[in-house]
Amino acid sequence: MRNLRRSAIAVVLALGACIGAAAGAELLLDDPAASLVASPPPGVLGPITESGRTGWNCAPERAAMARTAAAAGLPHD
Amino acid sequence: MTNRVAVAAASVLAFAVLAAGASAQTYGRPTAAPRTTDAGALTAQAREREVHERFSRGVTAEEHGDWGAAATEFRRVVALDPPEPRGSTARYDLALAEIHLGHDAPAAGLLEDALHRDPRFAAAAANLVAVHLRQGNVAAARSVAERFVAFAPDSASALYGRGLAALKSGDLAVARADFRKLVDNDPSYAVAHYDLALVELRAGRDDAARVELEHALSLVPGYARARFALGTVLMRGGRRADARLAFDRCARDAADPALRALAIDLRDRLAQQ
Repeated sequence: MRNLRRSAIAVVLALGACIGAAAGAELLLDDPAASLVASPPPGVLGPITESGRTGWNCAPERAAMARTAAAAGLPHD
Repeated sequence: MTNRVAVAAASVLAFAVLAAGASAQTYGRPTAAPRTTDAGALTAQAREREVHERFSRGVTAEEHGDWGAAATEFRRVVALDPPEPRGSTARYDLALAEIHLGHDAPAAGLLEDALHRDPRFAAAAANLVAVHLRQGNVAAARSVAERFVAFAPDSASALYGRGLAALKSGDLAVARADFRKLVDNDPSYAVAHYDLALVELRAGRDDAARVELEHALSLVPGYARARFALGTVLMRGGRRADARLAFDRCARDAADPALRALAIDLRDRLAQQ
């Protein structure tokens, strides 16, 4: 009896998921722009040595201040 | 008699040669005697030596991806509280280890502390914006990005971070200004064109969005996310055949399985209509 109840719940949940997915797809067909997401967050910059920020040769600081995306290590897709 | 004079002369000569050799010989410097016996000064020297050693070990551990060992070393450096710029650098490095250990909240606190100690610490600002965006804390990301842009107005990281935070919070004017400046500074950055297209789409300016997406795709033809977005713009404009082609190309280019599945679904539904 308990197994039967579990099976019934699983079937109901699966049906619900299918109906939800279908409804979602229909909504997307109406306005697919709603599914668009912004580009990913930037990655984190690397370690800095004890004397790294003394002078101008600190790679993470240079990356953080860079004008171009490639020099800054920003996402590329 | 002559022999005695010759021996005496030879002895004097030998002594002179030996004396000259001895005067030319150099000796290593003896170890410097301690300059102080003061307990406080000796403790400070020991602390300085420990900071130096732990910094060196911590950075080596980070370079080898041993984040647990790095965190242990930098926790101790932070506790020793060295003066600037090492104090803020130690907090930055400890935050980096915590981020890689999955502890974003303490990492954010450490980076805030580093920025409090050095308000123009650009790498700390960049990583703090990244952590807040990863956590979905858009308001905090925006707040830090504002400070970052204020002291580094041309920094690509600062503009990208604030642009993303503004876009996610619906501030389209700031997002548009930041991504536009990013594109002006670096016209070859396709991702900024994509984000600018999203801003225009949300502002209802589909034509401007299409131009940005086409620009992004001319720079990176395999940019699947931009191809998908172009398909949606074409669909909204009633160009269903072109949209279907865009979704088809996206389905082939996409590395992300969810994006590929969505593109296939839309392509097939458009084919059925």
